[in-house]
Amino acid sequence: MSNTELIRKLRAALKPENVLSVPSELVVYDCDAFTVERHIPLAVVFPRSAVQVAEVVRACSDHGCPVVARGAGTGLAGGCTPPPNGVVIVLTRMNKILDIRLRDAMALVEPGVLNLQLTNALSGTGYHFAPDPSSQGTATIGGNVATNAGGPHTLKYGVTVNHVAGLEVVLGDGSILQFGPVEDPAALDLARVVCGSEGTLAIVTKIWAKLTKNPQACRTIRATFASIDDASQAVSQIIAAGIVPAALELMDRGILDAVEAAFALGVPPEAAAVLIIELDGPEAGLDSLLEQVIALCRNWNPGEVLQAKTPAERELLWKCRKMAVGAVGRLSPGYMIQDGVVPRTRLPHIFRRILEIAAKHRVRIVNVAHAGDGNVHPILLLDERDRDLTARAKAASREVLEECITCGGSITAEHGVGIEKIELMEKLFAPADLRAMHRVRQAFDPASQLNPGKKYKTICQ
Amino acid sequence: MTANTASELPLEQTVSPTDELTVAALIGEAHKSGTPVYPIGGGTSLDYGPQPARPGIRLSMNQMNRVLDHPADDLTITVEAGMTLAQLNRHLATKRQWLPIDAPESVRATVGGIVATNACGPRRYSHGTIGDYLLGIRAIDGCGEAYAGGGRVVKNAAGYNLPRLMVGSLGTLGVITQATFMVRPLPTHSALVICDLPSFQQAECLLAALGQSRTTPMIVELLAGPALPFCPLPALPDTAASRLAVGFEGSAADVQGMANVLCDEWQALGADGLTTITRARVDSAWNWLSESPAMLQINVLPSRLVGVMEQVAWLMAASPLQAHAGNGVLRIYRPSPPAPLPSTDEGSFANLVQNTLRPIVTAAGGHLTVLATPTGVELSPAEIWGPPRPGAALMRSIQQRFDPAGILNPGRYTL
Ligand SMILES: Cc1cc2nc3c(=O)[nH]c(=O)nc-3n(C[C@H](O)[C@H](O)[C@H](O)COP(=O)(O)OP(=O)(O)OC[C@H]3O[C@@H](n4cnc5c(N)ncnc54)[C@H](O)[C@@H]3O)c2cc1C
Repeated sequence: MSNTELIRKLRAALKPENVLSVPSELVVYDCDAFTVERHIPLAVVFPRSAVQVAEVVRACSDHGCPVVARGAGTGLAGGCTPPPNGVVIVLTRMNKILDIRLRDAMALVEPGVLNLQLTNALSGTGYHFAPDPSSQGTATIGGNVATNAGGPHTLKYGVTVNHVAGLEVVLGDGSILQFGPVEDPAALDLARVVCGSEGTLAIVTKIWAKLTKNPQACRTIRATFASIDDASQAVSQIIAAGIVPAALELMDRGILDAVEAAFALGVPPEAAAVLIIELDGPEAGLDSLLEQVIALCRNWNPGEVLQAKTPAERELLWKCRKMAVGAVGRLSPGYMIQDGVVPRTRLPHIFRRILEIAAKHRVRIVNVAHAGDGNVHPILLLDERDRDLTARAKAASREVLEECITCGGSITAEHGVGIEKIELMEKLFAPADLRAMHRVRQAFDPASQLNPGKKYKTICQ
Repeated sequence: MTANTASELPLEQTVSPTDELTVAALIGEAHKSGTPVYPIGGGTSLDYGPQPARPGIRLSMNQMNRVLDHPADDLTITVEAGMTLAQLNRHLATKRQWLPIDAPESVRATVGGIVATNACGPRRYSHGTIGDYLLGIRAIDGCGEAYAGGGRVVKNAAGYNLPRLMVGSLGTLGVITQATFMVRPLPTHSALVICDLPSFQQAECLLAALGQSRTTPMIVELLAGPALPFCPLPALPDTAASRLAVGFEGSAADVQGMANVLCDEWQALGADGLTTITRARVDSAWNWLSESPAMLQINVLPSRLVGVMEQVAWLMAASPLQAHAGNGVLRIYRPSPPAPLPSTDEGSFANLVQNTLRPIVTAAGGHLTVLATPTGVELSPAEIWGPPRPGAALMRSIQQRFDPAGILNPGRYTL
């Protein structure tokens, strides 16, 4: 079958307006938010149902070309970069909230529903969907599931996998399966294995999302520090004291400059780092917990400790934190954001090493971090037109992640491996571990139909 | 381990290795000769599943019970799989931490066994199940090769989630040798609010209202029928159909505050006869609610729970019933005091399961599982778990890749 024939077949299955095949239209889909590597796909399709997804998968499989699922394309690891001769299946038109069942604390949604769309639909119900990636306004829930996305509040509430009760998926052979939402003692927990599999095991076509009750009350503070070292010491101490805040975020001076320029948060210019700390739960115990947290911060000479006094003040803090990465555009034409994770006691160490690595490779690095989880997001500023700088940024990225491995951590906490970090998988895992993963992949997708070339190198068998 | 034929392997014997290398060598040999290996943790679930079909080696993990790494300031711990939940929590308590899940018979139940069976208890309402804390695993596959998944940090998106794959895999994908958990600070106080209800409708009414409660319950248990043995609570009066027990944990102020708020909320809904239990009595009540092994388990959506429970209460009046009502899990116990099951003679246990209970559960969109087959009764896999699931072929394909010779728990568990 020729490519033209495949496209004809796809048009027949999905209607012509749901299939793109003209190069000028295809370039938009040549990468996700990891822009360093790009491939033009063979075609891009917009199915409206699981049955259509299955038809596309079968047609592509007959034709011998792989497929890649795509949500909003905000992924940061190149998970959506089309494989050679690949067809991109965009799920954004499957964007209906099918059911909200508060009695079961569950919502049934299609994969293209935006994270914030669900949160908005839940407003006033007393419930929310807990995973809150900074990209929640644009990223899809299908993408959140496929990357096992996190966010500031995952410290207390857990990442996406902890909030998925069930999935409907399409496999590489075009079969449609449902896992959950009722827990089944006679089955493997495949819904949760698909979480974080970056489109390599199955295409998610429905999600039974668990809903979380809104906390009764919360306290949000921001504390400034004279150095990133002091701030990260404070974080390690809070966790060591057995306090698990709802969120515990760090921003350094570099990113604060961008945030100040964009949103005028009003952090004093002499502050080298700021922590945003949120505590939530029953009203009764909150103030004494807050006092404990502030006392621990005081061990590290904070400049100022300010509490958000109104919901608007709290919202500004979170807006600044969530828009921080976007504001980096004010600092440089491009950037690469990393996603290392270390044991929480190693935070001060990893920040020291990040500074050294930046100096060594002559790359400017600014930092945001889900510090409470030990999850650092060093952002390497670059200009893609400057090949040398880009190469140095890649080398620095790699060194930071290798340092995370040395610390007993991992190369990605929430963004996924994609193609970006694939080389490092063999550093993190032993060959037998990768073989075990590959068994799972072969069972799900023996013909390597789904997003080949991602997650780890499949030659390891 | 030098044996290389089945006859040299310790068939029908229990071996208790003390390290992973020995486990791997044993399974490696068993793989070569096609000898079945039946891993045993605390032995709390040996009546679960059909009895072993072929003679094999009983691989006890109870000598592998060490703490390997407890970086307390990171709130994580790595232990060998044969450590019991009680041992683990005793160790963690020295740092005022715990693994906030419960499993029946925690003094015997090992962490490896809890992972393999996904055992859980009342605290799953707020704290989730063991998979929510399992950061990493090591296991020996059916060829005798060690593999690891996950890691030791609290958030990790590298690789597939092999720890989650192990949860509920019933020892068919490998013998778990090590597990790393995220742990939590130990709460200092707890309280239990109890309400006896004249009807199941009223229970549903209070359960539904919990969704909008201003409190944050840790456990939501609905009890019916006779009490389990050693009940530390007053018996259910004859006028009550069921009893709702909602628990709180946290600081003294939180716990007392929430117990009071809940009592107010329930009184506003017309409930009376509320009891709040605190201090020492609360611990014995919580233990009692989490420690007993059940005979049957039903999983449905929370909204279907009360309807199913009412039917079961009517059909099995001699059996204590306990529901983790907020999660749609109903546990049915052996009759207490001992009494024949409905439709009496032995052979009819299968009848009770297949023809009476399973249709009710299926109609409610749920699953019925026999957790402990009564002595002298033989059940087929379909009777224990119900018909094969739509994903069965995929699951078998995964299983075959981890255990190509089919030596891990053959016949005991079928996926
Ligand atoms: C400014 C910015 C901030 C961000 N902040 C965060 C953050 O705080 N936390 C965080 O975790 N991430 C963050 N991200 C990364 C990204 O938003 C998340 O990974 C998100 O979950 C991706 O969703 P998406 O819909 O864009 O998925 P895509 O980028 O379209 O896809 C991501 C991966 O999932 C696969 N996939 C997508 N949909 C499906 C499906 N239905 N079935 C199977 N596979 C599928 C794709 O093949 C790909 O491998 C951020 C990104 C940006 C640009």
